Amino acid sequence: MTAADPREVGTQLRPGLWHTINERYPGSMIRNESFVPQARLRKPLGASRLTLVSSCGVHLKTDQPLDVCHPFGEFRFMRVPSRAKHDDLIIHQLKYPHDDADLDINVIFPIERLQELVEEGRLGGLTPNFFSFIGYNMDPEKFERTVAEGIAEAVVEEERADCALLAPA
Amino acid sequence: MPTISVTVARDVTEAIKVPRALFLPWPMGHHFGVPFHRDLQRRVVLAALGLLESSEQPGTILDLPIKWADVRREAKTLTEQGRKL
Repeated sequence: MTAADPREVGTQLRPGLWHTINERYPGSMIRNESFVPQARLRKPLGASRLTLVSSCGVHLKTDQPLDVCHPFGEFRFMRVPSRAKHDDLIIHQLKYPHDDADLDINVIFPIERLQELVEEGRLGGLTPNFFSFIGYNMDPEKFERTVAEGIAEAVVEEERADCALLAPA
Repeated sequence: MPTISVTVARDVTEAIKVPRALFLPWPMGHHFGVPFHRDLQRRVVLAALGLLESSEQPGTILDLPIKWADVRREAKTLTEQGRKL
């Protein structure tokens, strides 16, 4: 009997990914023993300022590119102006297929869809900057100390976000 | 800070125990669909924002049951229509 095609039945397209990552890259994943508590929205979405954070490796074409050849990972993160359009942006990331995102960045980083929701009043606003980085790295402790904490601090202290949409590429 | 994750890897999201997530049975790098399909991209974003508002239990993962085969068929139609950004 052949396995059901996940494209036709609507299950995870690449099953067993967690196991595969841990087998190929032991120790590379951040682990939590218990659920991260839920913070609740303090005001309606129509009055909230949203930020977008993604490991898709997108940034302005004018930025120094993310280092896709670093053997242990790239520990910088990029600020992406939330007013940017598809044509302003480029992806530097090797660890996922981004051919379609190269045609339309909104496939992985829905910046223009979010801009539209603000214009319609469905969202109160966007933070001046969104955030992007390369998820692949071999040092999760350093990653947490640099990229994760750096973005978290910027989102709260500089951007004054009320909530965040996360897109782990 | 309230967060909502959009994921295509349900098992990874379950393992790392995020506060709330929306799962799409789609390929890596295609969390919001396919190029030029604004309606679908919008639908995913709105579903994610809806969950941000409504979920109450830590670890909630909501499935958006749209099959990738159907998305691909719609993408083919869009391509044939020559839709652009």
